[in-house]
Amino acid sequence: MDPRAVATRWPEPRLRVLAELATTVTEAPWRLGPAVRTRAAEAGIDDDTLIHGVALSAFFGHLNRVADAVGMPLDYDVRYPAPHAVPSTPRYELAPAGTDANVGELALGRRPATAAALEVWRAYVLERDAPLPRAERDAIVARVNSHLGGPPGPAGEPLFAELADTVALAPWALGPEAFAPLRAGGADDALLFDVCTVASTANMLRRIAVALAALGR
Amino acid sequence: MTATTLATTAHTASTGVLREIYERMLERPLPPTYRPAHGGAPGIVVAHSLDPLLIPKVFGTSSTLNGAGPLAWPERELINATTSRLNQCLY
Repeated sequence: MDPRAVATRWPEPRLRVLAELATTVTEAPWRLGPAVRTRAAEAGIDDDTLIHGVALSAFFGHLNRVADAVGMPLDYDVRYPAPHAVPSTPRYELAPAGTDANVGELALGRRPATAAALEVWRAYVLERDAPLPRAERDAIVARVNSHLGGPPGPAGEPLFAELADTVALAPWALGPEAFAPLRAGGADDALLFDVCTVASTANMLRRIAVALAALGR
Repeated sequence: MTATTLATTAHTASTGVLREIYERMLERPLPPTYRPAHGGAPGIVVAHSLDPLLIPKVFGTSSTLNGAGPLAWPERELINATTSRLNQCLY
């Protein structure tokens, strides 16, 4: 089913708002705003539930990216298989420069166990030196953040800019073709997975920060 | 040039730290419906096998989001399915 149809036309307001929340976190989190928060409140969805939904959608976006990067087979049979991904689908939009993040009334700190777990994850992925050198790691984070409204990254393109952009903005295009030129250049799978998880982690954290700032405006 | 996605290590082929982490993941409380019929680590855990130490970070976060409210289980599945569909992911 088209998730946008659920977000706009499902008869139950609560499920409509939750689908809208996940759709917007996934596609353009800066478009969330006070109107969504009001619609949520009218549907009986409080701020803590919104925070839960934002974090869950961004987290699941990470799982999608890793699943696609490794071509994960399903553990179970499905009655209605998902349609094939269309790699030529246009990338997700870039956020306007100067998009707010980590400000406003809604903060992940209201969900302390999740905030603490994400901080452990962030430090592990973004603050080490191997297999991807720390400077390259930082450059990928800056690039992903800039796509989602953060300040411009350092001059010059990170070594793995194209792959990082695919991870953040076009996860449906993550497949053998995305890795082939980098493998030809000598990158092994551990390094490529590291690039994917750096970009995916940065993307997840930024989508949460932007979504909560937009909702709390 | 090999046209494949990134490599993973199956539970049955795992050794050392990865094996220990897979075993620990199987001890987590998990609704029966999420337990794979093959009895090994779920595919989404195996998907992270190129970086074994990342696995407890990711699924530790998952426990805080999927093992607790305020969203009810069916509502969490709606959020997850919506996100996956837009990302055009089978999972």
